Amino acid sequence: MASRRRMLLKVIILGDSGVGKTSLMNQYVNKKFSNQYKATIGADFLTKEVQIDDRLFTLQIWDTAGQERFQSLGVAFYRGADCCVLVYDVNVMKSFDNLNNWREEFLVQASPSDPENFPFIVLGNKIDIDGGNSRVVSEKKVKAWCASKGNIPYFETSAKEGFNVEAAFQCIAKNALKNEPEEDIYLPDTIDVAGRATQQQSSGCEC
Amino acid sequence: MHETELHDLSDDSDYAAASRHTGSSNITRSDSGKSITSESGPLKVVYSKDNVSIHPTQYASERISGRLRLFKQGSSLFLSWIPYKPSTDAEDDSFWQGSSSISKEKGRNLYTIKLLPLRDVHSIRRHTPGLGWQYIIVVLSSGLAYPPFYFYNGGAREFLATLKHHVCIVSCIATTGLCKSVDDANVFLVNDFQDPLQNSIISRASNRASLHKPSNSFSSLDDSKIVNGTTYGDISSAISEYRGRPKKSHDPARDISIQVMEKFSLVTKFARETTSHLFRENHGDLLNTHRKKQQVEDGFLNPATSSSDDEKKTTNMVQVDSDPLEFEKLPLVWGTQRKAPLSLEEWTSFLDSEGRIIDSKALKERIFYGGVEHNLRKEVWKFLLGYNEYDSTYAEREYLASEKMHEYEILKSQWQSISAAQAKRFTKFRERKSLIDKDVVRTDRSVAYFEGDDNQNVTVLRDILLTYSFYNFDLGYCQGMSDLLSPILYVMKDESESFWCFTALMERLGPNFNRDQSGMHSQLFALSKLVELLDSPLHSYFEQKDCLNYFICFRWILIQFKREFEYENILRLWEVLWTHYLSEHLHLYMCVAILRRHRAKIMGEQMDFDTLLKFINELSGTIDLDWMIKEAEALCVCAGENGAACIPPGTPPSLPLETNMGLYPLEDEVL
Ligand SMILES: Nc1nc2c(ncn2[C@@H]2O[C@H](COP(=O)(O)OP(=O)(O)OP(=O)(O)O)[C@@H](O)[C@H]2O)c(=O)[nH]1
Ligand SMILES: [Mg+2]
Repeated sequence: MASRRRMLLKVIILGDSGVGKTSLMNQYVNKKFSNQYKATIGADFLTKEVQIDDRLFTLQIWDTAGQERFQSLGVAFYRGADCCVLVYDVNVMKSFDNLNNWREEFLVQASPSDPENFPFIVLGNKIDIDGGNSRVVSEKKVKAWCASKGNIPYFETSAKEGFNVEAAFQCIAKNALKNEPEEDIYLPDTIDVAGRATQQQSSGCEC
Repeated sequence: MHETELHDLSDDSDYAAASRHTGSSNITRSDSGKSITSESGPLKVVYSKDNVSIHPTQYASERISGRLRLFKQGSSLFLSWIPYKPSTDAEDDSFWQGSSSISKEKGRNLYTIKLLPLRDVHSIRRHTPGLGWQYIIVVLSSGLAYPPFYFYNGGAREFLATLKHHVCIVSCIATTGLCKSVDDANVFLVNDFQDPLQNSIISRASNRASLHKPSNSFSSLDDSKIVNGTTYGDISSAISEYRGRPKKSHDPARDISIQVMEKFSLVTKFARETTSHLFRENHGDLLNTHRKKQQVEDGFLNPATSSSDDEKKTTNMVQVDSDPLEFEKLPLVWGTQRKAPLSLEEWTSFLDSEGRIIDSKALKERIFYGGVEHNLRKEVWKFLLGYNEYDSTYAEREYLASEKMHEYEILKSQWQSISAAQAKRFTKFRERKSLIDKDVVRTDRSVAYFEGDDNQNVTVLRDILLTYSFYNFDLGYCQGMSDLLSPILYVMKDESESFWCFTALMERLGPNFNRDQSGMHSQLFALSKLVELLDSPLHSYFEQKDCLNYFICFRWILIQFKREFEYENILRLWEVLWTHYLSEHLHLYMCVAILRRHRAKIMGEQMDFDTLLKFINELSGTIDLDWMIKEAEALCVCAGENGAACIPPGTPPSLPLETNMGLYPLEDEVL
């Protein structure tokens, strides 16, 4: 086991066009925000080494196009995913309403072996805009939805300011790891404790 | 006489089985310790013929003579053609020093075939003209062909007889159902079954059709590899070279521009004719394979064909075993040297006194080979895009412009007049607008024209896209459109004209954005057929890696390589594409060109879908535009009608089928 090559955790970021998927990914991986990212066409991914409880993993983060017309490509991109990140813009109600579609679309296209327990994470992005005055989706509403879908962990983020991005992706990595088949990895049993310790500003990452 | 050329099926399979036995007795110890069924042994010359020549040009002085030989090692057969050194060249004439001898030397290096495994040969075509020398044309599995080999001292027949004695030529055709393609008995389809990659397709398909399976009895041929060739000093080094790396000596010097195309037009025509058969067959096979896969997925697999799983495993192993680098192919056609862009002087020479373009075909050809000087683009693009008619006069165009300007204002006012109260109740409008708003600020902002906060041109971009989404409400707005519009606005610098040019472009590219993605799917399908035709090893590799959807090329096709080149180069590329000079679908040949270029890396590193996607995305900014155009041109010429046949009618950017209808009779008259 120890000699296995570093384990790859595949994460898919989904959400409406313009909610900030590309920005979040770049903020996390490159610690940068740019106003000039182009609209994503097709798909791309970035990788980052993450350490979870003394073990190193390669997080492969897939950034896809938000335009619904391109969703049929998902089949090819979603397969083998270990975790799915659903992003919405707290200032745009429609982007929140669509989370359900994105989740279902993902389950259909990726057809994970255990859809009931497949790890999702929800991110409410762009909380920096207008100092939060233009937000239209209340935290209560999101949390209710997350609870109804099997306690999906929820984070509020700003890709622009880099706020909570690191914490969110820590949780994402852990959940992705949880999805890996048991026999593939050796998990120290302290993971739960460590998981909770790193949480900030979140409604509870159930790691 | 033709009939006698066809070999009896049983003879050849018996022979192959026998040769396998002798082959296996030759197995040498394999140092890896694994039980590799490799065969080795001394290279034996089984055929040798002097004064077999090629004619690179019509000039007798440029002919290159050499020795054609067939080598056998284990059950593998190799073909070689080594040109004579200048001193021993019977054709050499001191009178022709100078440039001719230089090009001859080039030709010598270019055409030398050190050791070509027969498994890389798709077919051999023999010609026995009543007058003149007999010649053969060797067509590779990729569909490309070597120039004709002329047998000055006869012996073409003997050559084929020897070949037939050592490899299955026609028998495999019968077993795989390809026999009907040999309606011309002078075409010899060579050992398709020996090619492990092709074999997988064929055996599966034939298995499905419950035909006699050829693969088992010939499996040793599939596995055949040379372990340590000895005896022939010269040749054995060639073998190791062949095994390790693609045959460098065959890599055509890229700078040989010239009219090689003309020289090889004969060859490619033959290659075309021969491969057309194969293509049609493979086409069927692929569909069958798909159908079968579907059946498996649907759980309807017929028990009678259930052995296929084992078969698949075997063939997969074979595929892994085969060295992908073996399949480096030699392109025999080069694209034409790029010219300088069309200048003002030239441009005016295309116009008559009233401003009509007299010879639009010549103009398109000219632009195809060199593009347009930047300051002419504003004018020329309107023709290329179809906004202006080639036979319109200055006056007509001026009139049209003012009409269209007016029309644009009306269209624009449709959304401009939507009040806040109305917008509140008009979700679709709000959504479109916000999508466009988000996209225009992410479109080419690093280009000076769109740079900076509150850039007015970004607003124009938005207005045009919003107007278009009203003009073509059904299609609406889709991401990627802003990428297509931006260079047009940059060139036109005029809102109304940009709108109409964009509209004209969308007549052709609109289907890329169809909700059901049908336009993209038909292009991706055509691309997969083209790769199958022009690079079957790569095609098989993609099949093996489950990449046949060609999603890796999605971005290239959706927005015409917009994200892959610098802005300046996009302007050049697009005007070349818009000429539709060689093909409306040259962009698909460009995809093939790039994929082929990186084939060794892709296959050598065994890239899977994910890695491949990343690799392709990261090619952005590294592709040489002129190279790509030239290469696509060569591939397009090479593929000829078979290439065109890969592309379903109505595939974007072709105009939708109905409007095309009336044009076909005209085309017939040309030929
Ligand atoms: N103020 C603010 N703007 C953001 C934030 N995240 C993204 N943006 C902006 O929102 C726009 C869209 O961001 P992207 O990251 O490109 O969005 P995306 O989800 O990748 O969009 P698609 O690729 O079209 O699916 C850009 O103009 C970003 O600059 C954020 O946290 N705060
Ligand atoms: Mg994006």
